[in-house]
Amino acid sequence: MLYGLLLFPMGMAFVVWLVGRSNQRARNLLAALTTVAEFGLTVWIALAPDLSAGIDGVAGLGIHLETDGFRRVYLVVIAFLWMMTTLLGNEYFSHYKTCNRYYFFNLMTLGATIGVFVSADLFTALIFFEIMSFTSYPWVIQEEMEAAIRAANTYLAVAVIGGLAALMGLFLLWHTLGTTTISALYDAAKTVDNKAVLYVAGGCVLFGFGAKAGMFPLHIWLPKAHPVAPAPASALLSGLLTKSGVFGVLVLTCRVFYADPAWGTVILVLGTVTMVLGALLALFSIDLKRTLACSSVSQIGFILVGIGMMGLLGESGALAARGTLLHMLNHSLFKLVLFMAAGVVYQNLHALDLNDIRGFGRKKPLLLLPFLFGALGIGGFPLFNGYVSKTLLHESIVEGVAHLAAHGGNAFGLRAVEWLFLLSGGITVAYMTKLFVALFIERHPTRQAEFDQKRPYMNGVSTFALVASALVLPALGLSADWTMNGIADIGTGFMRAGALAHPVQYLAWSNLKGGLLSIAIGFALYFGIVRTVLMQKQNGAAVYVNRWPKRLDLEELLYRPLLTKWLPGILGSIAALFGENRITGLLAKGVLRGGMGIAALFGKNRITAPLAKGALRGGMIAAHGLSDLLDAWILLLRKTVYRDCRPEPENTAMKSLPYRFGSLLDRIAIRHGREEQGGRRFAETAYRTRRTLRTTSRQITGNLSFALLMLVLAICAVFVYTLFMR
Amino acid sequence: MNAVILVCLLLVPTAAGIALALWNHAPKRIADTVFVAALSLEALLTLAYLFLPDAALRLFSMTDTLTVALATDGVSRIFLAVGAFGFLLAGVYATRYMAHGTRQASFYAFLLLSLAALVGMDASQNLITMYLFFECATLLSMPLVLHDRTEESIRAAMKYLFYSIGGAFLALLAIFTLASYTSSLDFAAGGTLDAAKAAAHRPLLEIVIFLGVIGFGAKAGLYPLHGWLPTAHPVAPAPASAVLSAVITKAGVLAIFRLIYGIVGAAFLRGTWVQIAWIALALLTVFMGSMMAYREDVLKKRLAYSSVSQISYILTGLFCMTPESVTGGLLHVIFHACIKICLFLFAGSVIVNLNKTRVSELRGIGKQMPVTLWAFTIAALGLIGIPPAAGFVSKWYLAIGALDTGLPVLNWLAPVVLLVSALLTAGYLLPITISGFFPGRDFAPLPRTDEGTPAMWLPIGILSAFSLLIGIFAGPLVDWTMALVRPLL
Repeated sequence: MLYGLLLFPMGMAFVVWLVGRSNQRARNLLAALTTVAEFGLTVWIALAPDLSAGIDGVAGLGIHLETDGFRRVYLVVIAFLWMMTTLLGNEYFSHYKTCNRYYFFNLMTLGATIGVFVSADLFTALIFFEIMSFTSYPWVIQEEMEAAIRAANTYLAVAVIGGLAALMGLFLLWHTLGTTTISALYDAAKTVDNKAVLYVAGGCVLFGFGAKAGMFPLHIWLPKAHPVAPAPASALLSGLLTKSGVFGVLVLTCRVFYADPAWGTVILVLGTVTMVLGALLALFSIDLKRTLACSSVSQIGFILVGIGMMGLLGESGALAARGTLLHMLNHSLFKLVLFMAAGVVYQNLHALDLNDIRGFGRKKPLLLLPFLFGALGIGGFPLFNGYVSKTLLHESIVEGVAHLAAHGGNAFGLRAVEWLFLLSGGITVAYMTKLFVALFIERHPTRQAEFDQKRPYMNGVSTFALVASALVLPALGLSADWTMNGIADIGTGFMRAGALAHPVQYLAWSNLKGGLLSIAIGFALYFGIVRTVLMQKQNGAAVYVNRWPKRLDLEELLYRPLLTKWLPGILGSIAALFGENRITGLLAKGVLRGGMGIAALFGKNRITAPLAKGALRGGMIAAHGLSDLLDAWILLLRKTVYRDCRPEPENTAMKSLPYRFGSLLDRIAIRHGREEQGGRRFAETAYRTRRTLRTTSRQITGNLSFALLMLVLAICAVFVYTLFMR
Repeated sequence: MNAVILVCLLLVPTAAGIALALWNHAPKRIADTVFVAALSLEALLTLAYLFLPDAALRLFSMTDTLTVALATDGVSRIFLAVGAFGFLLAGVYATRYMAHGTRQASFYAFLLLSLAALVGMDASQNLITMYLFFECATLLSMPLVLHDRTEESIRAAMKYLFYSIGGAFLALLAIFTLASYTSSLDFAAGGTLDAAKAAAHRPLLEIVIFLGVIGFGAKAGLYPLHGWLPTAHPVAPAPASAVLSAVITKAGVLAIFRLIYGIVGAAFLRGTWVQIAWIALALLTVFMGSMMAYREDVLKKRLAYSSVSQISYILTGLFCMTPESVTGGLLHVIFHACIKICLFLFAGSVIVNLNKTRVSELRGIGKQMPVTLWAFTIAALGLIGIPPAAGFVSKWYLAIGALDTGLPVLNWLAPVVLLVSALLTAGYLLPITISGFFPGRDFAPLPRTDEGTPAMWLPIGILSAFSLLIGIFAGPLVDWTMALVRPLL
């Protein structure tokens, strides 16, 4: 059954690709049917009891799959998102020429993503994680614009480096714990005394999965990759692929480092930074999809804060666990709706800049309502699903403060996290208001009439996908007490959280307070900053401007130079040192210099000289003979094996420093009226001297490396001699 | 029966090789037929032999103590299979690749004779026999390098000879010395070193064994005697580079394996400075090779540096002397051979069909040669070690084994270096795929070209598919290899 879940979409990917080569309509239908069937399959599995399966020996250790409450919930979410985006893709891709590969990789990634979530051990998870990274790469590069290629390279680099770091972590985990089975990790980690190796291992795995989740400072790929990918792919990247990273972080926190405050603090700090930074980036952005991508970074930060609180609170972290799970689920759903709405805008206008698309949504209720629901959901407005999960997360921080106060700790840090949490919630409201106002309330200065006439702006299937996805959000929010609580009851067993101390009254004043505070902050920020600082009057109309300094980009500032210039430069020269045998050359030179020095020491000894003269004469003759023999050898070898390589090309010599310096001197000389000497004098001398030096040194090095070889032979001869004379 | 097959394994390529060498003006059709028939027969015989019990037989004796004798064990089987099938696929490819060249018959002849020498080496029963065939393999594969008869190729061939013979000279020193400290030069699990005698001259033995491995390492491209690989492989015709890089370098690996595990025994070396120095050199080579490949633009040279790096993965495994690491090393022998042949044949197809030799010229080739580039991509993912492709499995065992050595620093440095090198491998292989399939919007699409006859793309496809499948279904192979390795340690 579980294998079917994985292999069905992967197998269908090939069928869909083959069909798509001849018939696009049939392909679209087949792809849609595949995802619908997959959705049905996941629902069936979700209703069935827990399953487990495994094949030993695949890729070495074998793959092992299982389902439990958490995975059953997430399987349904995955298949739901895939189904909706594939339905939308039907219209979205109708203008593309080369989208057959997209369909192929889309279904491959579906199988791999499901594989990550149903894996029973981290080894299996890593295998599917890597497959997922590679099969989702063509999504990002699909458009093949320069920005897309660049973003895709970033995505691939993060995926490869992250994957390798995670692999290193798995090596260490396997070495210290002897298992990567998720259900056995807790017991195995409990018995380890030396936590240092475990922390290193955890750090490596966190690097790998955190990179995929978009955790600071590895979030760089999200704001680049999501805007350039096709909208259905952005929704999946943002809604699900990042969650596979979160899944890894969850496994670490709830199994390997269960109730470990140090680990919890690290995650909490990283999560807080991610949350605030992502929100700020989103507030400054003036590109619809980039805003949504940065918003994803921020929302992942919210989730990580929840995971950090689970680490801090341990067994009493039920609130945090429920909040984390529900916010993961909610974020997948918001981003599905919002990115699909963005996709509808893009397929009509082929633009995403807020100044170009403003006013597009006016008089389009079927676009307005889904976007509004998504915005209200992500902004945490009461009666929508986002409010529930954010309230739970907020309550868990409050609980943490109380917990710390009760144990006499200093809760200042946690209080700061609480305020930053509310602030980030406020910024979320602000940037969503910015998007909503731009799209649906403002008018486009020139093209408004054209926008209003665009009809139909999406076909029936797309409308269904968008509206049906959007209706889930208030449906969940309104029935929170039994739907969302029920999901949390099913899912949090995975997180080893204890039972809830008392049921949460979501609409009680104490809980509403935090949410309303965030919303108030949000509107204040919108009118105080967005409408004033982030907009500018140009030709009488207010336009959105991006005030974020262009240079302030972690990727351009640090990672790209580090990986493409600095590291290859340094490591490459080290490698070249060995690869081109410079060291042995230098060594040979050194040995010979030393030998000559010693010889000179004795040779210049004037006192013993007369005495030694006679002996030396005889020695000299013998040495001459030997050295001539050697010279003959060298000559022979220089004519055959050690022949000189190519001469230095003229143009590089012309660029050389001595030549330039010489030309400079020449110019000075000419200026001082010494033309009668004939031009280019210094330059020519410098050039010749340099060339002679080069040639000589090359000859010397060549001879010396030969000498070293001879030395080796001599050592060997000595060995043989000692052996036979033994 | 099995002894007969063993002798046939040696005789078939020798006879066919000599025949082709003597009749080197044979019409191309006949030469092709003889060549492919001999290789197919060899592959069939090897396949049959893999399912038969081990055979042993004495060929002749030079003196009472110096005998030339054949015997096989599990490790021989790995190398025999790699050799026979690697040569078969590269050989089939060569019949098309060399279609417009000259001197095909002599090229085929030396390929067959090199294979015979390798078979002899794989199936040697003692160190003397192995050394004999080792030297034969060097001499008989040298003409493959100078096949083009250009000045560059002759110089490269001389360099190859110089390094290999120089290395073999060091190895001979080890053989001479060991002869008087061992009970016999026949390979035996756990080694044949006479413990009492050896203990008295430990430092001498350590130095000599160290030098011996460095000497055999010349063939395997181990620093400091790696210099010939990046010179010799790019100038040889692509099928020859493929077998040189993927199979003939493995002769060095086998020689080192036999010296350490068949003669000296891991117990004598474990924890000594020799082991530490070997691991350090192998790791240096792993890193250096990948880095040089990353900086290299000429495709075949890039692949040659990649071989330098990848073969030292294997050597790292052998030097770590734990069951997992040696298993990983032996698995990587198979995987690397399969992948590297595939990559070199890809380079050959690019040269023949598009007349391009540099990586920077390969933009947009995915539109021209989609099947070939897909095969390349899958093999490349295997070499990087992306699960579940083959390279991942071997790297897993290599790294786990290295962590188990208990040596300070090196036990964690080894996996780190392996992974850094994997990153560089991604850096030097994936851009070919990326710019090939996604040349960008501004690139005018090129028409699909002829990818050669099936004789060209089929071997590439087979190897590529094999590299993926053997990774996915690695379980039985891993168990079998592990069972093979445990008694040795």
